[in-house]
Amino acid sequence: MNMTQMAWRNLVRNKRRSLITSFSVAFGVFLAVTFTGSGDYSYTKMIDTGAVMGFGHLTVEAAGYNDRPSLARILTGASDVQATALRLPRVEAAMTRIMGQAMFATGSNSSGGFFMAIDPAREMPLYNFFLRSIVSGRLFDTADGRGILVGAGMAAKLNLRLGKKVIVTMTDKHGELTSELLRVSGIFKTGDNSADHHLTLLPLDRVRRILNYGPDEATLVAVYVKDLRQVAAVGRRLSEKLRDLRNIEVMPWQKTQADLSGLIRVDRLFNYLLQSLVGLVIAAGIMNTMLMSVLERTREFGIMMAVGMASRQVARLVLIESFWIGIMGLLLGMILTAPWFWYMSEFGIDLSRYVGVDYSAGGVLVDPVMKLRLYKESGFMILFAVLGLTMAAGVYPAIKAGRTVPVESLKEM
Amino acid sequence: MRDSPLVQLEDVSKVYQQGKIEVRAVDHLDLTVQPGEFSVLCGPSGSGKTTILNMIGALDVPSDGTVRLEGKDLADLGRGRLSRLRRDRIGFVFQAYNLIPVLTAYENAEFVLSLQNRPEAERRERVMTVLEEVGMADYVDRRPDELSGGQQQRIAIARAVVSEPAIVLADEPTANVDSEAADTILDLMAHLNEKGVTFLFSTHDQRVMDRARRLIRLRDGRLDVHGTTT
Repeated sequence: MNMTQMAWRNLVRNKRRSLITSFSVAFGVFLAVTFTGSGDYSYTKMIDTGAVMGFGHLTVEAAGYNDRPSLARILTGASDVQATALRLPRVEAAMTRIMGQAMFATGSNSSGGFFMAIDPAREMPLYNFFLRSIVSGRLFDTADGRGILVGAGMAAKLNLRLGKKVIVTMTDKHGELTSELLRVSGIFKTGDNSADHHLTLLPLDRVRRILNYGPDEATLVAVYVKDLRQVAAVGRRLSEKLRDLRNIEVMPWQKTQADLSGLIRVDRLFNYLLQSLVGLVIAAGIMNTMLMSVLERTREFGIMMAVGMASRQVARLVLIESFWIGIMGLLLGMILTAPWFWYMSEFGIDLSRYVGVDYSAGGVLVDPVMKLRLYKESGFMILFAVLGLTMAAGVYPAIKAGRTVPVESLKEM
Repeated sequence: MRDSPLVQLEDVSKVYQQGKIEVRAVDHLDLTVQPGEFSVLCGPSGSGKTTILNMIGALDVPSDGTVRLEGKDLADLGRGRLSRLRRDRIGFVFQAYNLIPVLTAYENAEFVLSLQNRPEAERRERVMTVLEEVGMADYVDRRPDELSGGQQQRIAIARAVVSEPAIVLADEPTANVDSEAADTILDLMAHLNEKGVTFLFSTHDQRVMDRARRLIRLRDGRLDVHGTTT
C-alpha cells in the first residue's frame, strides 16, 4: 500500500465531502479560465487592432522617431528593411509607411490631422484597419496617384464627397511648407472618433514627392507577426539582422502604443488581483474542509504514529490528499468549463447594448463582444496555480495532522 | 545466566495535571521485563497500567526516572528516532483494534513493513505467513468494517508481530471481544510467545491473568504489596 493510494481512499471514503471540495476547485478553474480567457482574447484583439491601425506589432523606424515623431526623422533603405523582415520566420507581413501631420483644406473649410501614406499594391485589409472600414468609394489605385482616403468625421467637417478636391499641406524634410491637390477616392468609418475625424490615407510615392523623400525613404516599416507572444523574439532577431543599418530602432508595440500597453498592464494586474482574491476564498474553503477531515481522523493518525509512521509521513499523506482534490477539481473543472469555453470562444456575449459599438480604450477600438481565448501558457498557469493553491490549502491541515500526539489521541478512544 | 533486561524502568514516575489537581499515575516504579516474557500488568482502573505501557512504547515520557528499551534510554532519543523505534522494535495491540479503516486486512498487516520500506516480495511472504498464523489468510481483501471484533483483533496482532519487534505491548486486548474470541486471541499470543515474541499486557480480564507467566500487580501507580507472581 503506498501513500498515494491511501490518500485516494481517504478521499473516496467520504465521497460527498470530497466531491463538494472538488467542485469548489472546479469553480475556481471555471473562474480562472473565464477571467484569463477574457483577458487573453480582449488584449490580443486590442493589440492586433492597435497594430493594424498603423504601427504593426513591431516598428522599424529612425532612431528617436518614437519619442519625437517628425517627418525629418527618416528611415532610409525602407525596402531592404521590409524585405529583411519578410524573410524572418513568424513574420506575416511588413509594410512601408510614412506617418505624420498635415493640414487638409477645401474651398470652404480646413482641418488639421494625421496621414498614413501607404502603397496600395502591398496593403491588405488584414493589416490595415482603415481598408476594412471603407464605407464609400475605394482605396486609391496607385502609389503615385492623387487619391486620398478620408475619415467620415473629416469628410463631414470639410464637406467632402467622392471625387472632391482636397489640398494637403505638410512640412517637407527640409522644413519647407509644401502642398498638393488630391481627390477623395474613398471614405472610411472605423467607429474610433479620433481616427474618423483626423486621419487620412495617402499614396506613398506621392507623399515621398511632396516631402522630398528619396524613393527608398519612409518614416517606418510596420511588421506583423503570426503570434503576439513571438513579438519579443522576432524583434530581437530583426534587430540582429539590421544591426549594420545605422540610426534605426526596432520598437515593439508596447513602446509604439504606450497608452494601450499601460492600459493592458493595469487591467491585467486587476484581473490577477481579482483572481487571487477569488482563489484565496476558495483556498480558505478547501482548507476548512481539509482541517475538518484531519480533526475527525486524529485517532487514526495517532494509531499510525503509534505503530511507527513519522510526523512528516502523516503530513505528506494529508498533502497528497490535497493533491488528489486538486486533480479531481481540475478534471471536474475542465469538464464543466469546456462547453462554456467552447460557446464563449465561438459566439461570446454581445455587450454592445451596454458599451456601444464604438467603444475604444487606449486609443484602439474594443470588440464589444466578450469572447474567450486561452493561450497554452495561460492554460498551464491556471493548472499550476489551481494545483498549487489546493496544495497550499492543505499545508496547515497537514502540519496539524503531523503534530498529532499519539498518546493524546489514544486517550480519546 | 539471565539475559539483560529488554525493558527497564528505574524509579519512574508520571504525574498528570488535571486542572489544578496533580494526578500521580505512576509512582517511583522499578520494573524489568526480560526477553521472551508473557507478562501481564494488572490492577484496578487508574493503577497506571496503560501509562506504563505508553512509556515503554515511547508514546509518553516519564516525569521522573528512566525508561530503557534494549538498553537505550528513551529520553535520549529525538522524535524521529522514537518513531523509528516504535516502527522497528515495538508492536502495539490496542483495546479497540484500531485498524486503519481504508486498508484491507492484508494492507493493515503490511502497514509497518511498508513504513520500513521492505521489498514487496518480502512483505508479501511475511504478511501471508503471519496471516496464516493468526488464521486470517482467507480474509486478506476484507476491510475492517467487514470483519468481526475478534477478527479485527487478530489482524491487529498480525500487524504487531509481522515486523518481528522486540516486544509487543497489548493494552486490554480482550476487552472488546467475546469470550470465545478472547480465548482464540490468547491462544494465538501464547503460540507466538512460544516462538520467541515477548508480550506485555495490561488487563482486567481474569482469563488473561490466568494465562500469564508473570503477573505484575499495580495499585496507585506502584507495585502492589503482593508484588509480582511468576
